[in-house]
Amino acid sequence: MKRTHLSRITTLSFVAGLLAGPAVLPSQSQTAVQSPTRAHVETLASERFEGRQAGSDGARLAADYLVSELTRLGARPLPGQDDFRLPFSFTAGVKDGGSSLTLTREGAAAARFAAPSAVQALSFADNAEVSGEVVFAGYGLVVPESQNFGYDSYATLDVTDKIVVVLRYFPEDADQQTRAILSRYSDLRYKAMQARQRGARALLVVTGPRSPNAGEVAPMTFDTALAGSGIVAASISGEVAQALFAGVTDRSLEEVQQSLDTANPHVAGFALPGVTVSVTTAVERQRQTGYNVAGYLPATRRLALPKPWVALGAHYDHLGLGTHGNSLARGEEAGRIHHGADDNASGTAAVLAIGEALRGEPRSRHVVLAFWSAEEIGLIGSNAFVTDPPVPVEEMAAYFNFDMVGRMQENKLTLQATGTSPAWARLIEQANVLAGFDLQLMADPYQPTDVASFNQVNVPSLSFFTGTHADYHRPSDTAEKINYEDLDRIVDFAASLTRRVADLDEAPAFTRVEQTLMPSGGRSGIRIFTGTIPDYATDVKGLLLGGVIGGGPAEAAGLQKGDVIIEIAEQAITNIYDYTYALDLLRIGQPAKVVYMRGAERRETTLTPAARR
Amino acid sequence: MRIAGGIFAVALAGLVWAAPMAAQPAASFEERDFLSRVRRLTVEGRRAGEGYWSPDGNRLVFQSEREPGNPFYQIYVLDLNVGETKRISPGHGKTTCAFFRPGRPQILFSSTHHDPESRALQQAELDFRASGQERRYAWDYDPEMDLYAYDEPTGTYTRLTTARGYDAEASYSPDGEWIAFSSMRDGYERPLSEAEQKQLALDPSYFGEIYIMKADGSGQTRLTHTPGYDGGPFFSPDGTRIIWRQFDEQGLIADIWTMKLDGSDKRQITDFKSMSWAPYYHPSGEYVLFSSNKLGFENFEIFMVDAAGTKEPVRVTYSDGFDGLPVPSPDGKRIAFTSSRSGGGAGQIFLAQWDHEAALAAIRLAPSRR
Repeated sequence: MKRTHLSRITTLSFVAGLLAGPAVLPSQSQTAVQSPTRAHVETLASERFEGRQAGSDGARLAADYLVSELTRLGARPLPGQDDFRLPFSFTAGVKDGGSSLTLTREGAAAARFAAPSAVQALSFADNAEVSGEVVFAGYGLVVPESQNFGYDSYATLDVTDKIVVVLRYFPEDADQQTRAILSRYSDLRYKAMQARQRGARALLVVTGPRSPNAGEVAPMTFDTALAGSGIVAASISGEVAQALFAGVTDRSLEEVQQSLDTANPHVAGFALPGVTVSVTTAVERQRQTGYNVAGYLPATRRLALPKPWVALGAHYDHLGLGTHGNSLARGEEAGRIHHGADDNASGTAAVLAIGEALRGEPRSRHVVLAFWSAEEIGLIGSNAFVTDPPVPVEEMAAYFNFDMVGRMQENKLTLQATGTSPAWARLIEQANVLAGFDLQLMADPYQPTDVASFNQVNVPSLSFFTGTHADYHRPSDTAEKINYEDLDRIVDFAASLTRRVADLDEAPAFTRVEQTLMPSGGRSGIRIFTGTIPDYATDVKGLLLGGVIGGGPAEAAGLQKGDVIIEIAEQAITNIYDYTYALDLLRIGQPAKVVYMRGAERRETTLTPAARR
Repeated sequence: MRIAGGIFAVALAGLVWAAPMAAQPAASFEERDFLSRVRRLTVEGRRAGEGYWSPDGNRLVFQSEREPGNPFYQIYVLDLNVGETKRISPGHGKTTCAFFRPGRPQILFSSTHHDPESRALQQAELDFRASGQERRYAWDYDPEMDLYAYDEPTGTYTRLTTARGYDAEASYSPDGEWIAFSSMRDGYERPLSEAEQKQLALDPSYFGEIYIMKADGSGQTRLTHTPGYDGGPFFSPDGTRIIWRQFDEQGLIADIWTMKLDGSDKRQITDFKSMSWAPYYHPSGEYVLFSSNKLGFENFEIFMVDAAGTKEPVRVTYSDGFDGLPVPSPDGKRIAFTSSRSGGGAGQIFLAQWDHEAALAAIRLAPSRR
């Protein structure tokens, strides 16, 4: 671990120098021709910030940089805060804290397995100690009846209060079409849900001798849906499996697997004779602290305008080394620093540069300069901000978001969320007469960026975007590929819009954008559309709604932000995955009962799914 | 409305159309060969179009449907140095086809606001839309439409024509002393045969002819006499000729023509076997920009052709849907045009840099007509 240690020392000394003055900024920036964004992008996207993964040292250094820049701009901490840093906690990873399995066979000494290579909790497992008799349930696959494909590993089994053992993956020798269907239901979360719904006390998963990674335990994967699955679940090694199957004398585990591998639905599981098992799972969810960074340039006129705040924001976090799932790194790139120059050092630099342009000018509304963290793992920072806002969201006249604004091509600038206010068209038209962008306007605010958080709390918003590219979410998203000339034009344009909004007598009205839906009963293959926006960043049992899509079925059913769905179509929902699988049971246009919690009150409603566009 | 409503009405009626004629000339260009920094200028409102430059190139006057109470076009002036837009028409009734007067702070346009029925017609259209129906886009050639001059310093309107029948599509001569316009008064002023009465009820644009008058509205003189819609007249940069588009009797084929100010020396500039219309001279006087559906009945593109019409037209725009009403800036370095390329079907005004030298070179390369 010396390597990490060393890099930490160098980054710290770098920031120490940074705070001392501009002399240690990257040398290129000193020769650059007065671009107000270039030095920011080059700094944030440099190796020293290690890809700015939320919760990492690199992200903390980036936050330090933003704090020093806000200080330099003369910004103030938000009301009631004494720091620009706004901490929030989030789950950044999982590890096994010592799971174990004890096997008891009649007339033999108990065998205990505790090595991580022998027994390891699945990352979504509930933590508990359970024991019981053991039932082998094949691949543990259940294809919903709605799919008209008869396959149910539990068809002939009673697993109530049992420990269920299943094979990982899906039948190895099935034909292509069968594999395509079964693979959809082979996710371990889904298998755990099926076991739980049948009353099992625990699910044990073994990678069969005929499968890839034979005999190895399944890795604990980071999961942004953090809630447990409601059941004790662990993966076991081939060695442990052999011990469990010791009482099966007429065939080997490999032969058992082979009989299942043709996906013949009539090959049944069976109870494992003469053995009881006690399983203890210990999943440790690593809570970390992330930091949004925000300050404001105060209004200079005392006009008592309605909604006296305007907010500008950009997420400054990125993917670090790309080890947590969102990376698109290929081959040798994997594990390298993801520089995130466009995503989103560019937007961060834009907000700083707009602040630079606005400082010292008269204005009638306060202008917030905000930098979000943990955007890449589910808009967590901006969600934390609007959930417990230092500035009441009702007092925000507008929010402008900047996410990936550094790769403009052919003068094309996309503005998203234009449907959130009828005031935008005129303001955009006026500001763009001088700016001269070829604007691509998108009404839809339901975007995978922080603008969605502000739309959910009814703040008229716009999000600036210059399009995706081949370096997206790869280490090659680097500072020298940024189109600074056009990035700086975006800064001028956005500053002009900010000035206009900051001085409007009437705050822009908010309009909720309706999602246009296809008539129901569409083509096969179209996915169900329920119009729910799950909150991915929670440990709540059930499906917490971060919002509902305007005009969607969920809204029509009376569901709203903050509701927790606990049952849909007779399926208990303890987390986002249960919900996703339950969607397979729904049919377009056919009403389904939904049970949900609003605060402490249990309620019921009926939701009629539509077809996704 | 220099977009002939009949063009869209007919297009949408889905009449059979002969396949596009001869193949394009061999020389192959792209939009970027002539246009750069293409971008949408107008954003507000359902639609906007017909942007014409002020003589100093600092402002643009255009029509747009952008105010909640009025479902019809009103006239707006956009200051290109500041970005502010101001309505200069009265706000009620229908208006169309604005034009800056050279040398005087006046703006010409057509309006029905004097019509006592104008507000009721607005409400009827709003009610119609509120009922959820969508009208096929059709310009109705309101016979109340008359020409007005708006005086910017005083904010007053002077009515220049009173004849029953659509008076519109007007423009000033370069010295600001003359106005050329299109009028359908011929369908209302004289006794019509039974066939003509049917034609008037079906599509009054058949009676559209080109007229000229002094800037104060005096001396109104008819210049064209052929059956079919003549409209969209503009003066050449040297003020010696008028360019306009002439439809055939059926209203399916249109071509570009020029004539002297007294109506003599009529010359056909295009024979493009399609709807070629909305011609406008480049200020160099060397060539003309226009739009045509040569490449597909509902796919209008901008073309250009030498001012004498000796060559085959050269294609300028390359985007699906509508590109038309090209108007170069007074310095010839920019172009305003109306396009549906931003989606949604309705037009908005776009601006682009115009490469005059590339245009000249391409026209030189174009094959001779026939």
